[in-house]
Amino acid sequence: MPTKRQQEMLDKKKALMLGGGEKAIEKQHSLGKYTARERIEMFFDEGTFTETGIFVKHRCTNFGMEKKDLAGDGVVTGYGKVNGRLVYAAAQDFTVVGGSLGEMHAMKIAEAQEAALKVGAPMVCINDSGGARIQEGVDALSGYGRLFYNNTIASGVIPQISVIMGPCAGGAVYSPAITDFIFMVQGIGQMYITGPNVIRAVTGEEVTGEALGGADAHNRISGVAHFSCENEDECLNQIRELLSYLPSNHLEAAPSYECADPIDRADAELDSLVPENPNKPYDVKDVIEKIADNGVFFETQEAFAQNIVTGFIRLNGESVGVIANQPKVNAGCLNIDAADKAARFIRTCDCFNIPMLTLEDTPGFLPGSAQEHGGIIRHGAKMLYAYSEASVPMVTLIMRKAYGGAYIGMCSKHLGSDIAFAWPDSEIAVMGGDGAANIIFAKEIKNAEDPAAKRAEKLAEYQEMAMNPYVAAARGYVDDVIMPHESRKRLIDAFASLKGKQVYKPRKKHGNMPL
Amino acid sequence: MAVKKFRIVLDGVEHEVEVEELGGVAAPAAVAAAPAPVAPAPKKKAAAPAGGAGDISAPLQGTVSSVAVKAGDSVKEGQVVAIIEAMKMENEIVAPRDAVVASVAVKKGDKVSAGDLLISLK
Repeated sequence: MPTKRQQEMLDKKKALMLGGGEKAIEKQHSLGKYTARERIEMFFDEGTFTETGIFVKHRCTNFGMEKKDLAGDGVVTGYGKVNGRLVYAAAQDFTVVGGSLGEMHAMKIAEAQEAALKVGAPMVCINDSGGARIQEGVDALSGYGRLFYNNTIASGVIPQISVIMGPCAGGAVYSPAITDFIFMVQGIGQMYITGPNVIRAVTGEEVTGEALGGADAHNRISGVAHFSCENEDECLNQIRELLSYLPSNHLEAAPSYECADPIDRADAELDSLVPENPNKPYDVKDVIEKIADNGVFFETQEAFAQNIVTGFIRLNGESVGVIANQPKVNAGCLNIDAADKAARFIRTCDCFNIPMLTLEDTPGFLPGSAQEHGGIIRHGAKMLYAYSEASVPMVTLIMRKAYGGAYIGMCSKHLGSDIAFAWPDSEIAVMGGDGAANIIFAKEIKNAEDPAAKRAEKLAEYQEMAMNPYVAAARGYVDDVIMPHESRKRLIDAFASLKGKQVYKPRKKHGNMPL
Repeated sequence: MAVKKFRIVLDGVEHEVEVEELGGVAAPAAVAAAPAPVAPAPKKKAAAPAGGAGDISAPLQGTVSSVAVKAGDSVKEGQVVAIIEAMKMENEIVAPRDAVVASVAVKKGDKVSAGDLLISLK
């Protein structure tokens, strides 16, 4: 039998565990949403979650708030295990005054962030909140500020993952925005700076919340989010899977796993996967899956800037970040969105010690005034900067086209790639054959009796001479030309040889990356 | 313990110092290699959301090199409906969903800009 005071504690906890109460929980379920505690339970390994700060209370006395008792101040925080590894989490509880963020609510999240940072464990924050708790005024704002600051300080030290399972509007969006990955649940998660009502009042534009800032909008159009999930169960599973590719902090390597897939598995289909005709597209994801352990590719930002593909694979059980041109979409060209997507992914890999594999087949940067005026120069620069600055092992495999600035930019050895391979069909050159022949042989073509025939002759001459991997290999810009089916083994060997890589660079406060 | 000689510069003056190591530093304990865990089995992911809109527009600037459908045709999601040549590459334009073609706005040889309507679906 518990004593009277022990029983009192048990009763208090029981009441607090109900959050906003049974009615509010029913409402949450009717929206197709789990409660904060249900999400936490599902996310962590069974029985491993320890809650912190369940007794925390707000201390606001404005507008009658002193009469309101808010369970846990509207957020569940604590730590537990994910696949046996320590992870911290905060889950906003929409059943308690709409998960609104006040001073103590923010304090609880901040405490979890700071604990995660101190011990070097990932931090996951599940957002489901109507926004600032208006009654608390500037104290609520100060709370947001502290979270953004903590996000920034922890950036590059521990993986930070944001999950949008409800509204996340106004200033609140900037905590997720600073973190490494954003997951959104379709039809449930929404992010925007100003919502549909304000937009209508100010500009007259009619737009729904989902169209404005739903999972599709941010995964396909804006590129703000990295994962779009059909439902909350799938979302929580995907976060667990993502964590398996990441180390707990910047001083560790990502976990390695047993690999039953033979490292010398030669996939003959790779030899015929890239069409001989350089104008024909193919799906680069087929290449990635044929090289990866067990054919598993965990893609990030799948729906955004699909002309470049980013994500994680394992090679011999070790995490590898993949950046690959996608010839199937927009010719695989590099444009503003593709450069942004790649640059961000490269930096994510680099700060968490994840080696990078670049698969190259791109006709170059997309021409046009929309791109130039949109700032492709400064956006493209981010990608070059990110590659050059990276110090993790980097291996580049040129599959087909590697021309000009795009060749340099896609992790050439000149930017710091450690090992570069090329397939025999590679064309590593200053530009595509037509353009080059027209410039180099302009006079001869113009003065010829039959310019068209001359152009064809000179084009063939140029192609024979320059459009191959051997000119670059002769200079050492490519370390070896290999058969496509050898790729898996050669890449695994290459990454194994680079495991001890150390790079020494001049001391500085921080570089001035183009943004 | 070995004596090591160092040259240091203090306020611009060079000094030679000898340093003797007194206590050995314990070598880091060898960590027994834990058996590598087995990777969590990947869960099947839902496909990326398709465009969804009723019409198919050009994803990039280029020349229409072929149109594979005509008004009234039924198309399946992912079926190639046209090819736009750009950047010396044939870009396959695919149907975003199962639908019937309402009308075709372009023909072979047309120059299109990004966002131009190619095919209306119903």
